[in-house]
Amino acid sequence: MKPFTYLTPATVEEAVALFGQHRETARYMAGGTDVIVKIKDGWMGPDYLISLKQIPGLNDLHKNENTGELTIGALVTHAMLEQSLLIRNEYPIIYDAVSNIGSLQVRNMGTIGGNLINAVPSADGAIPLIALDGSALLVGPKGERSVMVKDLFVKPYETVLTPGEILTKITIPAQAPRTGSAYIKFGRRAAMELPLIGIGVLLVVDEDLSTCTRARICLGVAGPTPLRAVKAEQMLEGQPVTSDLLTEAGKTAAEESQVRDSVRGQAWHRKEMIQVQVRRMGLRCLDIINQKARQA
Amino acid sequence: MIGYNVVGQRIPKLDAAQKAMGRAEYIQDVRLPGMLFGKILYSRHAHAKITAMDISKARALPGVHAVLTGKDIPPRMRMGFYKDNPPLKADKVCCFRDEIAAVAAVSEEVAKKALSLIEVEYEPLPGVFDPEAAMEKNAPLVHEAHKSNVLKLPWKLHYGDVEAAEKDSAFVAEDRFTTTWVTHCCLSTSGAVALFDASDNLTVYSNTQIPSLAQKDFLETLAAMDLKNKRVRVIKPVIGGGFGSKLDTYAYEHIAILLAHKCRKPVKILFDRKEEFEATSTRQPTVIYIRQGCDKEGHLTFRNIRMVLDNGARTSWGATTPSVMMMPITSLYRVPNVRYDAKCVYTNNTYSQAMRGYGNPQATFAIESCMDMLAKKAGIDPVAFRRINQNEPGDVTPQGFKITSCGLGQCIDAVEKELAADQPLGEGEGIGVASLIHVGGGARIYKSDGCGAILKMDDFGKVDIFTGGTDMGQGLDNMIAQIVAEELGLLAEDINVVHSDTDVCPWDVGAHASRSTFVAGNAALGAARRAKQTLLAFGARLFEVAPEDLVMENRTVSVKNDPEKFMPVDKLLRKAHFSPGGTMLMADYFYDPPNENMGKDFRCNLSVTYSFGVHGVRVHVDKETGKVLVKNYVAAHDVGRAINPMLLEGQVYGGVIMGLGYALSEEVMIKEGQIKNPNFRDYKLFTAKDVVPIKAPVIETHDPDGPFGAKGIGEPGCVPTAPAVANAIFQAVGVRIKDLPITPEKVLAAIQEQSKGS
Amino acid sequence: MTKPISFILNGDEISCDIQDHWTLLHLLREELGLIGTKEGCGNGECGACTVIVDQLAVNSCLYLAADVQGKLVQTIEGLAVHTGSLHPIQQSFVENGGIQCGFCTPGMIMSAKALLDKDAEADREAIKHALAGNICRCTGYVQILDSVAAAGRQMAENQGEGAAAAKDPGTITQQSMNKKAGEVIT
Repeated sequence: MKPFTYLTPATVEEAVALFGQHRETARYMAGGTDVIVKIKDGWMGPDYLISLKQIPGLNDLHKNENTGELTIGALVTHAMLEQSLLIRNEYPIIYDAVSNIGSLQVRNMGTIGGNLINAVPSADGAIPLIALDGSALLVGPKGERSVMVKDLFVKPYETVLTPGEILTKITIPAQAPRTGSAYIKFGRRAAMELPLIGIGVLLVVDEDLSTCTRARICLGVAGPTPLRAVKAEQMLEGQPVTSDLLTEAGKTAAEESQVRDSVRGQAWHRKEMIQVQVRRMGLRCLDIINQKARQA
Repeated sequence: MIGYNVVGQRIPKLDAAQKAMGRAEYIQDVRLPGMLFGKILYSRHAHAKITAMDISKARALPGVHAVLTGKDIPPRMRMGFYKDNPPLKADKVCCFRDEIAAVAAVSEEVAKKALSLIEVEYEPLPGVFDPEAAMEKNAPLVHEAHKSNVLKLPWKLHYGDVEAAEKDSAFVAEDRFTTTWVTHCCLSTSGAVALFDASDNLTVYSNTQIPSLAQKDFLETLAAMDLKNKRVRVIKPVIGGGFGSKLDTYAYEHIAILLAHKCRKPVKILFDRKEEFEATSTRQPTVIYIRQGCDKEGHLTFRNIRMVLDNGARTSWGATTPSVMMMPITSLYRVPNVRYDAKCVYTNNTYSQAMRGYGNPQATFAIESCMDMLAKKAGIDPVAFRRINQNEPGDVTPQGFKITSCGLGQCIDAVEKELAADQPLGEGEGIGVASLIHVGGGARIYKSDGCGAILKMDDFGKVDIFTGGTDMGQGLDNMIAQIVAEELGLLAEDINVVHSDTDVCPWDVGAHASRSTFVAGNAALGAARRAKQTLLAFGARLFEVAPEDLVMENRTVSVKNDPEKFMPVDKLLRKAHFSPGGTMLMADYFYDPPNENMGKDFRCNLSVTYSFGVHGVRVHVDKETGKVLVKNYVAAHDVGRAINPMLLEGQVYGGVIMGLGYALSEEVMIKEGQIKNPNFRDYKLFTAKDVVPIKAPVIETHDPDGPFGAKGIGEPGCVPTAPAVANAIFQAVGVRIKDLPITPEKVLAAIQEQSKGS
Repeated sequence: MTKPISFILNGDEISCDIQDHWTLLHLLREELGLIGTKEGCGNGECGACTVIVDQLAVNSCLYLAADVQGKLVQTIEGLAVHTGSLHPIQQSFVENGGIQCGFCTPGMIMSAKALLDKDAEADREAIKHALAGNICRCTGYVQILDSVAAAGRQMAENQGEGAAAAKDPGTITQQSMNKKAGEVIT
């Protein structure tokens, strides 16, 4: 591995300042599961690696009970999310997505912030955060700004972050009552997969437990960046959600996607999977909503 | 296990504790004083002329001790049985895997840096990547001097009269099947360390499965280097997985030797994982055309198979897999008329090697898939169809294989019983079965199929046995220890099995053909019997009885029917040692089974006995996604006798999961000669989470020639897996997948095609 | 760049100089001579290099040595020094056929330990989930899963007897851990 100097700032400001000193010879690192592999493989070769691991507070994970807002620090690991009862009970779409990222060893190191910044089309972590209308707080030399997670990605391996900016946390607004959400990673085997396709669905329904008031259909590996199938979402909103309607929405989502052939899967099959899994995930959302309603 | 104390026991693998503590030393862990690190530069084209190469910058890099190119290779130095593979290629490259230069340096980092400084100019040539296309008239030649892309190999046989039999057949089924590249994925990557002493004698540390044949190959390398009458010592560190991958010697071993000689220092070459995927061999891919027929009652009448094998650009043992494919083709079930014709064809792809099953999984995939197709045409239940045609003890197959012990029928019973015990089939579920035959008593591929054993007993009742056989994790050390301990009335822990050094271990043809328990086991048993004879002769004089009146049991020699007369073995050994004109207990034995080389028409009794098995699987097919979920799996095997049931089950489970990977998920994806998935992320090995419930009924037929009745079981576990799965999928959703691996894409495409048709 | 670090390795306080770009795997194998931790891929895709850092299983091939400063590191060498004192997980792997070629074994055992230290009664699905990042080509995993389940039962029993610490030299109790970690940091 190409040698580098490892810097461990104690605050975000210090990290940004260090970046300012070294600029293009520097890279930030969160969990390291992507960055170290890239340095080993020679895809990047920074002279300075600025670790964000030592910065207190960046691995904060909590829900504000007054506002219902969920805060996920950028350095929260996939394993922390997977093992959080709050996430498992209230944000099943996040649980579904993070609990099968890589191996447990990777989830113990890899972070949600790193997963987003890595900006691969297959980033499992991005899909639920987009579905949940999450926003990311970016802190950089010129101050801070907030960007919706869905707007974070430009193309594979590229985000809207400007040089020196750090993604410090993700904020998820309060969920409406009667929200259900689910994610599936479709691959050839049960673990250690990069998805052939990743499908996240979030539905909010009216008091009738049927009419959709908000829908989110988010797709991974369906284009150069994680994307939302907006037309498909619109087909659901205002309508009673049925299996048939979900099938139609799945078809539309497949058409909206920009899938292609790769070593991991063929475009036509990816489209088929979008169609099938949008329905299945939608039905799972309804199950979750109904189950909660029965409990309440 | 009536009458046996050690054989049949679930004794932990002898080196398990050492391995559990992280104290086993693999090739990764071999470090020698002054050792240099070698790295290899590979071709950047599938097919190209090398027009210029400049190594001056690499040579000038501080820390670099040597740079070699194809020009440094002695002309006689060629690897592989077809001798088409110099360790470094000089003027032309024929695949991405071709080695073109190598360096030795003080560290891996410096060696890698040096590689990056080597400048190579290529003139790309048109490539050929499909074996059937490579057979066409105007196809580019991979090796111009060879004149044709078709290798001159004799894989052709015809027994009986296939054409006449086809005319008389009531039903005929035929189709085209393909199998693709998969690879061994040993968890330990490949590597070797070579060093010369001051007199040019060579020592090679290598995780090879063929220490004796490697010794011979390395001697040929020395001869090509004009080093005559030198000694070669091969030392095996603990082997981190074999599965056939280490059944030949490779460029990295010969390059390490050349570098070590040039530098006069030990040189280590260790592959990284990407290199392991790109520069080691695969299972032989095949295109198979099969026709099979039966009469009205369902008796097989003929089997006619034509194959085209993608040989890749160089030749290793993959090109000889048709010789083993002949076994299931001529002898799986009773089939009187057989034709087989296989062509190995050069392409600019990677090349193949032995891999667990050695061609048998490919051939069995086509045969057993086609068996179900034929059964359907004949209107006979697939299991009943197999019973009608099952092999029986006493059969002589068209190829001349003499079936002795044979539990195929019992295996069918066991699988049927286990599958029937489960719930009735649900929606989208199906059951499939497939059988196997494999050599169970070695196979005479080489002139000798033998193995030597040298045994000595010390003053303390302990045994050291030096075997030619190789343990690579499969558990040969236990087989030998348990066999020897049983024969000598000792405990397995009394037996030290040495199998790692050609300086002290006798000759063996290698760990292949599921032969080690049978052949190395019989060699060890022979040596133990001789030692026992000597010891009992001495004891008989001491007790003044006949040797036949003595028994060895519980570390004691005692007189039958006279419990007062006994002596602990260690005491008896000391008595023998320290009496006037004393003797040390030592014995040797060389066992070469009465296996026959294939004759001109390939007729022979290849192995003194054969192993059989039947696999049954229940799958669920998701009709909307094409995803196949294995619900449960039964793998019944006729093993003769289980020397150690726990290790035997380990071989079966490991084989089945490897076979399921072959069936469903694994493939080395090669496009225009280039491997697209050289990593564990995209090469889809099963993970712990993919494991399915497996039952492994063991059928014991007590083979008359096996050590304590045992037959080989190393390979069979992965042989009939793919056709069993394919047959189950057919039963579940009515589509026949003929190309491995059976991915969700293929299944869904077939389902959609089917619904269009209906 | 070279820098000094201190950490607890298998219960021993270690102070050494490292280079910034060294991985923990490099530090263990090449500098400290602990060869029990294996490299199978170097990219976090096989699990052979798994060690436990502060109770979490991690791929030491992706973990920078610099990041173990002040932390507790357990490797396979910390579990037992001779066959008479094998950790229950090691013993179980030996007895249940969980080991063939053995190259994946140290990593597999460390993954199992990280799981069972938290939940000795983990069910088969939880075991599969925790071990999914450890590739094994020999065993087909069946006897490995059996080994881990049996070890868990044994560890639960030992804990029931309050004897876990005595029988398990690789486990450091939370209390002693805090103490040791504190010693290094201050």
